[in-house]
Amino acid sequence: MLVIKILGTGCPNCKKVEALARQAVTNLGVEAEFIKVTDYSEIMQYPILSTPGLVINEKLVCAGRIPSQAEITTWLANALMEVT
Amino acid sequence: MDILSFLVRLFQGGMGNLAAYLAAHVLLCLVPAFYIAGAMTALIPKASVTRFLGRNAPKFISYPAAALAGSVLAVCSCTIVPLFAGIYKKGAGLGPAITFLFFAPAANILALVYTGGVIGVDLAFARLFLSLAFGIGIGLIMALIFRRSDIAHDKSTDAMFSGKGGMRRGALIFLLLLVALLLAGTFKVSLLTNTYAEFTLPISGMDRFQDFLYRLVPYDASKGEEGVTAQGAILIGMLVLIGLASFKGLENIFEGFNLWTWMAMGLVGLTLMIAALGMTPHAGGLDIRFTGRFFGVLLAIALLVWLMFKRLTEDELRDWLWESWRFVKQIFPLLVVGVFAVGVIRVLIKPEWIQALAGHNTILGNLAGVIFGVFMYFPTLVEVPIAKMFLSLGMHRGPLLAYLMADPELSLQSILIVSAIIGRLKAWTYVFWVALFSTLAGLIYGSWVDGTGLGMIVLYLTLFLAALALVLYWVDKRTRVKGTIPQKAATD
Repeated sequence: MLVIKILGTGCPNCKKVEALARQAVTNLGVEAEFIKVTDYSEIMQYPILSTPGLVINEKLVCAGRIPSQAEITTWLANALMEVT
Repeated sequence: MDILSFLVRLFQGGMGNLAAYLAAHVLLCLVPAFYIAGAMTALIPKASVTRFLGRNAPKFISYPAAALAGSVLAVCSCTIVPLFAGIYKKGAGLGPAITFLFFAPAANILALVYTGGVIGVDLAFARLFLSLAFGIGIGLIMALIFRRSDIAHDKSTDAMFSGKGGMRRGALIFLLLLVALLLAGTFKVSLLTNTYAEFTLPISGMDRFQDFLYRLVPYDASKGEEGVTAQGAILIGMLVLIGLASFKGLENIFEGFNLWTWMAMGLVGLTLMIAALGMTPHAGGLDIRFTGRFFGVLLAIALLVWLMFKRLTEDELRDWLWESWRFVKQIFPLLVVGVFAVGVIRVLIKPEWIQALAGHNTILGNLAGVIFGVFMYFPTLVEVPIAKMFLSLGMHRGPLLAYLMADPELSLQSILIVSAIIGRLKAWTYVFWVALFSTLAGLIYGSWVDGTGLGMIVLYLTLFLAALALVLYWVDKRTRVKGTIPQKAATD
């Protein structure tokens, strides 16, 4: 079970990242819980300089840009390896 | 019946203003500006600037770097707020963070280009230089006033700011070419404005079309208004087509490029070229003049297309298109509504009111500009058409600059966000300084417009900055001597 957090206050880029991550999760066929973090003080807990940010199992994997789906899939696979 | 004709007049005012803003010369600056902003966001690695904003960076590097970050990296609030909080809490501290916050909305590429295109290059430069001087000034003052609490900040890792990043050469050239496209489209030099070739399209009825447009949107040239030309009408049609193609081709660009994507880009190029042509309709047909501007735009576009295919990776291209489209989507609709509303309001305001209040370069006039800027909130870039309206109603350029400096920096919304991060006391102190400095900026610029020599102004400005620096230095020294005890108290 993965916990995926999307950091961002709801700008279009954050929604794009969420959509891409959801798609990657579906393609991999894994279970994941999505949490949208919109509160600035909570976002700033992570080492991030610009939104959108993507956090998988409390590890920030990407910030300030929209990653490609292949990248997200790799991160998800890595996170799964660490869990098991 | 009276009310009806009044409403028609309001509507015509709005439409007239809108038409003037979609006219060729504005398109030639605004469209490339959106693409430049997109390219800056997508192609400049943030680390290449933020690495100068770490905790250990010396002041003379971190303050200019903060201003640079403001103008290059931060066109939208997605970046401004997190970067502000990051610089403040984990990076160079309160001072550079404030400089960044001040500089970003006033002197980013979109704001500057739009100000230059609509109101005048002189005001755009004044906005840039005075924002730079005062942004750094306010940053230094804030850092000094709140010196003690700034030290208390977490001395956590510098890792966030240690990233190394350079720009690829291909991407850099691409960005410079976009700037060249902008200059070719807007620079007023005879090389670009001269006509080199001319022919007549035998389309009858263009003159009647033109007359119809002038009747639909009547205008008064003496008030600085512009009517809709036939060229303008064609361009507006093209813009609608671009919007449609972009919506189909760029909205889902992360699923891959499709036919619409290429069509949208082709249309943008075509529109820019049409905008660069000179057109005069008459009874026999339509005169088309090939100006130097047209050839400049054509050359820039051709080079850009070549670079796009040869030097940019597909990821870069996609990110660039997406960011540009995102800016357009975010800013353009509000801008259109705002411009229309400004046109309507303009019919209602009497020039005498503005002239009485801010027609001259006085302290009161400048203050009025600033106060209006603080209490009114307008979406990004709408402050520019509003300023244009004030200008045409007789506002002096000094108070106008004061307004342009204060409005984007200070809105209730941004004050609230900022105070959530740095606390209410600091936020309101910041507001106070911005108001003071904006008034001052307006006065200085206004006296320059009124004919005071450049030397005198530079002298005044240097004296003021020197006095400021001296006070800062003095207080700095004092706190350093006595500072050991309060420092301890703060870190406890």
